[in-house]
Amino acid sequence: MSSITIDTSASRKVRELLQFLLESGKIDAALTMRKIPENNSYDLGLITDAANLDEAVPIIPVMTVNAGQVLSSISTSGKKIAAVLKPCELRAFVELVKREQGSFENLLTISHTCGGVFSLDLVVAEKIEELLPKYEKIISKGEVPINTRDTCRACEHFIPMNADITVSVAGECESGKGCVMYLNTDKAEEFTEGFESERGELKFDPSALQKMLDTRLAEKEKLFASMTASGPGLDRLLDTFGKCVGCHGCNSVCPICYCLLCDFESANFDYNLPYFEEHLSRRGALRLPPDTIFFHLGRLTHMSFSCVGCGMCSDVCPVGIPVAAVFKKTGEKTAALFDYVPGRDVEESIPVMVYKEEELSDLG
Amino acid sequence: MKKEFTPRITSFLCKWCTYTGADLAGTARLQYPVSIIPIQVMCSSRVDPVFLIKAFLSGSDGVLIGGCHPGDCHYETGNYHARRRFAIVKSVFESLGLESDRLKLSWISASEGPKFARVANEYTEEIMKLGENPTRKSIFL
Amino acid sequence: MTDASLQGAVLPAAKEPGDAVLDFLRLAITKEVADAVILPMKVPSGDSYAWILMNDLSLLDDAVPIAATMAVQGAKALRSLTRRGPGNLTVIAVMRPCEIRAAIELTKLGQVHPDNLILATYDCPGAVQLQKYVDDPTGCEEHFAGMQQSGKPDDSAKPVCQICEDFSLFDSDIHFGYLGLSEKEVLVIPGSSRGSELLEKLGLTPARDLEGWEKGIDQLKADRVKARESAFEETEGQLRGFDGLLSVFANCIGCHNCQSACPICYCRLCYFDSETAEQNPDALITTASKRGGISLPEDRIMFHTGRMAHMSLSCVSCGQCSDACPVSIPVAGVFSFVADRTQRTFEYVAGRNDGDPLPLRQFRKSELPGVHELVKDADAEVPSHE
Ligand code: SF4
Ligand code: SF4
Ligand code: SF4
Ligand code: SF4
Ligand code: SF4
Ligand code: FES
Repeated sequence: MSSITIDTSASRKVRELLQFLLESGKIDAALTMRKIPENNSYDLGLITDAANLDEAVPIIPVMTVNAGQVLSSISTSGKKIAAVLKPCELRAFVELVKREQGSFENLLTISHTCGGVFSLDLVVAEKIEELLPKYEKIISKGEVPINTRDTCRACEHFIPMNADITVSVAGECESGKGCVMYLNTDKAEEFTEGFESERGELKFDPSALQKMLDTRLAEKEKLFASMTASGPGLDRLLDTFGKCVGCHGCNSVCPICYCLLCDFESANFDYNLPYFEEHLSRRGALRLPPDTIFFHLGRLTHMSFSCVGCGMCSDVCPVGIPVAAVFKKTGEKTAALFDYVPGRDVEESIPVMVYKEEELSDLG
Repeated sequence: MKKEFTPRITSFLCKWCTYTGADLAGTARLQYPVSIIPIQVMCSSRVDPVFLIKAFLSGSDGVLIGGCHPGDCHYETGNYHARRRFAIVKSVFESLGLESDRLKLSWISASEGPKFARVANEYTEEIMKLGENPTRKSIFL
Repeated sequence: MTDASLQGAVLPAAKEPGDAVLDFLRLAITKEVADAVILPMKVPSGDSYAWILMNDLSLLDDAVPIAATMAVQGAKALRSLTRRGPGNLTVIAVMRPCEIRAAIELTKLGQVHPDNLILATYDCPGAVQLQKYVDDPTGCEEHFAGMQQSGKPDDSAKPVCQICEDFSLFDSDIHFGYLGLSEKEVLVIPGSSRGSELLEKLGLTPARDLEGWEKGIDQLKADRVKARESAFEETEGQLRGFDGLLSVFANCIGCHNCQSACPICYCRLCYFDSETAEQNPDALITTASKRGGISLPEDRIMFHTGRMAHMSLSCVSCGQCSDACPVSIPVAGVFSFVADRTQRTFEYVAGRNDGDPLPLRQFRKSELPGVHELVKDADAEVPSHE
C-alpha cells in the first residue's frame, strides 16, 4: 500500500482529494465538515459540487453531530460517497452497519488520527478559529489538549481502526508540516489513482503516538476513578442522574441508539393511575414523570457495549450530566466480558446476537 | 420493635423447566420461602434486561431468572442468549456500584424440585443478609 | 384580569411566600381534602429540582413550592400522571402560571385528565435559566430571592419571563398572590368554583379585597408588556426573510431537545422523527445535487417551521425549549413571537380555560378574509398585523 506526503495543511490536502474525486466523477458526493456561511461556526455538509468545497474543512476538531449517525441515512443510496470521519464516527458507523443501518459498499472512508474535539459551547461561542493553532501545536507534540471533551481526553482509540485512508495529523507532524495520508486498502488505491501527489511507501507508525496514548490512558483512569469516588451505588447514581430532565437528548444524538421510537418512550412505560397510587402508598412520594433512572439503566444495558465514547450525549445534556463518561466506562467493562471492541471489525457480531456454549460459567 | 424482614424476590421462571421444578418442589412438600414471587415466562430468553431493571427499581429485594440447563432449552438456544443478557445487566450493575448480588440466574430443570427449594432458600438467606433494597423507599428514581 | 367581586383569604408567611403555600397544603392533607400534592423538591445533588408527587407530610418540609428554576415543565408531570385517565386521587399541583396554562392546553388535547386535579398557581417573578442554575445554585437562589422581592425578572431569568404578561392569576383553581404586598402574607384566591369549595372545606374565608395587590401586579405587567413589544420587534427583524430564519437556526444540530422539553409537543413519535418525514437516501443525494450541497442532518428548517405550524397555537411561552437547547438558540423567543401572531389570528389565548376549543378543531364559515387575498395574490405585500 502506498502513502501520500502532505505538503500543505492536512485539511487542505483532504479537500483537494475530495475535489479530485468529485471532479473526476469517482464519487457523487462528499461528506465533510464545513464552515457555516451564516456565522463563524461549523456543520456537517454533503457536497456534490466541487465548487462548493471551498467551505469544506475536512479535518477540524468539531463534532456537531456524530457523522456515523448521519452516514447511516445516506450510505445506502447507491451513489458513491467519500466520507471524512473521526475515528469514533467511523466506529459508530461500523456498529450501525452491524445493525443493518448502513453499508460500506459505495463508501470511501477517510479518517485521521484524532486529537479530540472541542466542546459544543466553544463552537457556539465561535472560539474555534482562535483556539486552533494552539490545538494543532499540542497534538503535534503528542499531547492532549485540555479544552476537548472529557471522553476525548480519555479515548485510546484515536487511531482509525479500519479506514480506507488514514491521515496522520497528530504525533510528529503539525498541520502543514510533514503529515501523511496512508492508503490502507485497494479501494483507497483505486480511488486515488490519478490524484496528483507525492507518493511513497511509508507505513503508519503508531509508536509516534505512544505519548498521547499513555496520557489518555492515564486520563481515562482518572475519569473513571472520579466517577466511583463517592458513596454507595444507588446514591451515586441518583447524584449523577437525579437532575436529569428526561429530554432524552442523550439518546437522540447517540449514533448507536438508532431506534425510531425508543422503548423508553413507548406506551410500554405509560402507567395507569393505580401504579402511582401503589408507589405513593409505599414510598410516600415519587418523582414525576417517573422512570428517570430506569431510562438510563435501560439504555446502558441496551447499547453501552457499543458505545464509542464520542461524547455527543454529554455535550447536548442541558443539565451537564457526564452521560458519556458513564456510558464509556460501563460499556468498556461490559464489552470486555465478550472480548468485544465496538467498531473494531464489521464482521464481528454484536454481543447480544451471538453466544458461545462454553462461556460465563460463573453465572447460573 | 423491628418488623421481621421478609424479602421479595421477583422470580422469572421458564415454563418448561424451572417453573415446573418449582411446582414439583411444592407437590413434594419441600419447604421453600414465601419470598419467592414466581412469574411464569415461556423461556428464560423472554426476560428482557428491562424486566430485571424494572423489578429492581420497583423495590424487589432480589430478582431471579430460572431457566433450563444449557443445551436443554426448549427453544434450543434461548438460555444462551438469556445468559449473555443477564451478564450484561450484571456488569452494568457492577460498574455502577449497584448491588449486583440482588440479581441471580439459575438453571433448574423440571425434575429438580429439591434444587429449586435449595436455591430458593439459599438465595433468600443471601438477600436477608443484604437487607431491604434501598430502591424500595427512594423517591427520586 | 380578575373580576371585581373576587376576594382572597389571607395566610401568614413565616419567612417567604412558599411557607404559606406549604401551610395551606399541610392543611389540605390533614383535613383530607386532598390525597396528595405535587411540588418541586431539590434533587439529591442539590443543583436542580424535580416534581414530586407526595402524601407524606414529613416530606413536605423539604419541598420548595416556589422554586427558582423550572427543570421539567410541570404540565409534563401532570401528563405522566393522568395521561391514561383521571383515577381516584385528588391531587393539588402547585405550579407556575405557564405550567398550568400548558396543562390546560394538554387537557384540550386529551393528554391531561384534570378531573381530580386542583391546579394552583402563584405570582411568578420569573424562572432562572436552568443551565445557569445548575452551574451556580447558591448564586441563583439569591437572584431568585431578589426577583421575588421586586417582582421583576433579572438577567438570570429566562428571556421569555421578561416579556411574560400572564405571570399571575390566570385560569387556575387556586392562586397564591404575594407580589407587591408589603406584609409577610399571602393571598389565597379562588379562581374557580372548585377552588372556592376547597377554601370552604379548609375553613378559609376569602374576605380581603384584592385591589391593592392587583394594582401592584398591573404595574409589573405594564413593564413586561413594554419589554414584550420591543423584544418582538427585534425578533421580527432577525427573522426577516428566509435568510433571517436560516441564520437564527444556523447552529441547530437537530437534536430535537427543544421539542422533547416542550410541554405541548406530546407526540410519542414526532412527525419530523418519523419514517414519513425521513427522506430516503437517493432523494437526499438528489436534493444535495440540485443545490451543490446540503447541511446535515437534513430538514432542520422544515422541523422548526413545521413545529411552529403544529403547535404554536398552544405555545405558552414557557421557555423550556431554549433552556434545553445545547447550542443556545433562542428557540423560545422565536416561538413566542410566532405564537403571538398565530394566536392573534384566531383570537385565541393558549391556556385559557374558557371552554374555547382549539382553533384548528373548529371553523366559522366566514372568517380569515385576509388569507384568501394572500393566496390570490401571493406576490402582494403581506399586510402587517398591527
Ligand atoms: S440529555 Fe441529560 S437531561 Fe436529557 S435525558 Fe439525557 S441525561 Fe437526562
Ligand atoms: S452513549 Fe454517548 S458517548 Fe457513547 S456512543 Fe452514544 S453518544 Fe457517543
Ligand atoms: S435505549 Fe434501547 S430502545 Fe432506546 S433507542 Fe437506545 S437501543 Fe433503542
Ligand atoms: S415552544 Fe417553547 S416556549 Fe412554547 S410551549 Fe413549547 S417549550 Fe414552551
Ligand atoms: S434544541 Fe436547539 S439544536 Fe436541538 S433541535 Fe432544537 S434548536 Fe436545534
Ligand atoms: S425454554 Fe427453558 S430456558 Fe428456554
